[in-house]
Amino acid sequence: MDRNFNETFVEIECSCRTKDGESVCGDCFMSLRTESDHRHLAVLSDGLGSGIKANLLATMTSTMALKFMKSDMEILQSAEIIMDTLPVCEYRKISYATFTIVDLHLGGQTRIIEMGNPAFIHLRDGKDLKWENRELVSARWPDRRMTLTELKVLPGDRLIICSDGVTQAGLGHAPNKFGWRREGCLRFVQEQLAAEPELSARELSARVVAQACGQCPEHKYMDDTSCLVIYLRRPRKLRLLTGPPFNPASDAEYASLVRDFEGKTIVCGGTTANLVARELKRPIKMDIKLVRKAGGLPPPSSIEGIDLVTEGILTLTEVVRHLEQGNYQQAPLAARQMIELLLASDVIELVVGTKVNDAHQDPNLPVDLEIRRNIVRRLSQVLEENYRKEVKTRYY
Amino acid sequence: MDNAKKFKVEICLGTTCYVLGAAELAELEEYLPEELADRVDVCGCNCLGLCKNRNFGSAPFVRVDGKEILAKASIDSIIECLKRKLGEVKNDQ
Repeated sequence: MDRNFNETFVEIECSCRTKDGESVCGDCFMSLRTESDHRHLAVLSDGLGSGIKANLLATMTSTMALKFMKSDMEILQSAEIIMDTLPVCEYRKISYATFTIVDLHLGGQTRIIEMGNPAFIHLRDGKDLKWENRELVSARWPDRRMTLTELKVLPGDRLIICSDGVTQAGLGHAPNKFGWRREGCLRFVQEQLAAEPELSARELSARVVAQACGQCPEHKYMDDTSCLVIYLRRPRKLRLLTGPPFNPASDAEYASLVRDFEGKTIVCGGTTANLVARELKRPIKMDIKLVRKAGGLPPPSSIEGIDLVTEGILTLTEVVRHLEQGNYQQAPLAARQMIELLLASDVIELVVGTKVNDAHQDPNLPVDLEIRRNIVRRLSQVLEENYRKEVKTRYY
Repeated sequence: MDNAKKFKVEICLGTTCYVLGAAELAELEEYLPEELADRVDVCGCNCLGLCKNRNFGSAPFVRVDGKEILAKASIDSIIECLKRKLGEVKNDQ
């Protein structure tokens, strides 16, 4: 692995599954990237019990922890405020949410603060690294011990943080009478990475959670089960071209942007696809049978060497709508394929041709068609804020 | 008679055509009368670029046999056009 920080993307993904029978998850994950780009914060909190009450405790804890960390507040003081603030459970007479906070600095010191969650895993080249830690105890809350670990992360490293739903999966049932435990989870992760060394954080976290579920009788989630994975990876790049350039003299240069690109490419828009096909001298193919399966959007077509070719405005609008809602399994075919490519990338470049198609402004059209620039702005925003992607937009 | 000859019907699936009903035209094959059933090759195509030029009329657009453009196309108008083309082929023989 190339240990170069300049070419490193911090992929942060968390899979959360709700305990069977509950409507909301009692674990809460939040993260943010600070403007300097070298600092990343992530919190996984597990609220006492399950359901709404747990969700509330975990959400409050994560929100506060993230805010306090961002403003560099002192750790003990932050934790005290969190514990003072949480509502007290009327049955158990305690207020409680466990948490793990990761304050990651690329090229600098990384801190992990843990209270009550299973101990984190730091993997480098398949090895489970051990670090010294120290205990932090609040005078006001002496029984709530926290540990602070200071460590250094390198490109290629992974940090894995689980809620106890993972480590206690299958508890009380053979073969995991004491649960899957940290060891079981660690072994599983190591096996997965030995087979696929560049496995994404998104995929790995989903596999851990699914495997934890597999430890439980009847494969039910016996507790809220979450796995947060932070992977310092070589970025997966994607370039999306949409709209013809304002000046047709730029067509050739514009089309060449998808010819030699190292990464995935999407061409979004009929006119744009025609332009790319013409300049690169490659035909566009379309399967009419897909119209029926396309679910309310024009179907994708194909150009050799391009990963996805779709219609423009309608597809982009659906993509943004589903990304904002956070659920895209039911999205129409072309939109779903585009979302899958976007989410499987780290650094996304949106190349926007700004020529306006007059026909789209016809007031007789039965639907409102967004202006391309506006919808691209929303796409960029949702990818950065909700999906932690690095997005660059340039106009042609 | 040249049985191998098939008429190509290209249905534009660009944005404008799509919102004005092109997706329904993709079902054309199911509505073809017997005489045309084996004589037509229906395919979708990328934006034909016709919506930008008012001289062509309004969307949805369909291109028949690579030459003839039907504006404001409907299943009926496509079938009518195909019947005319079939008649022309027969008259030529």
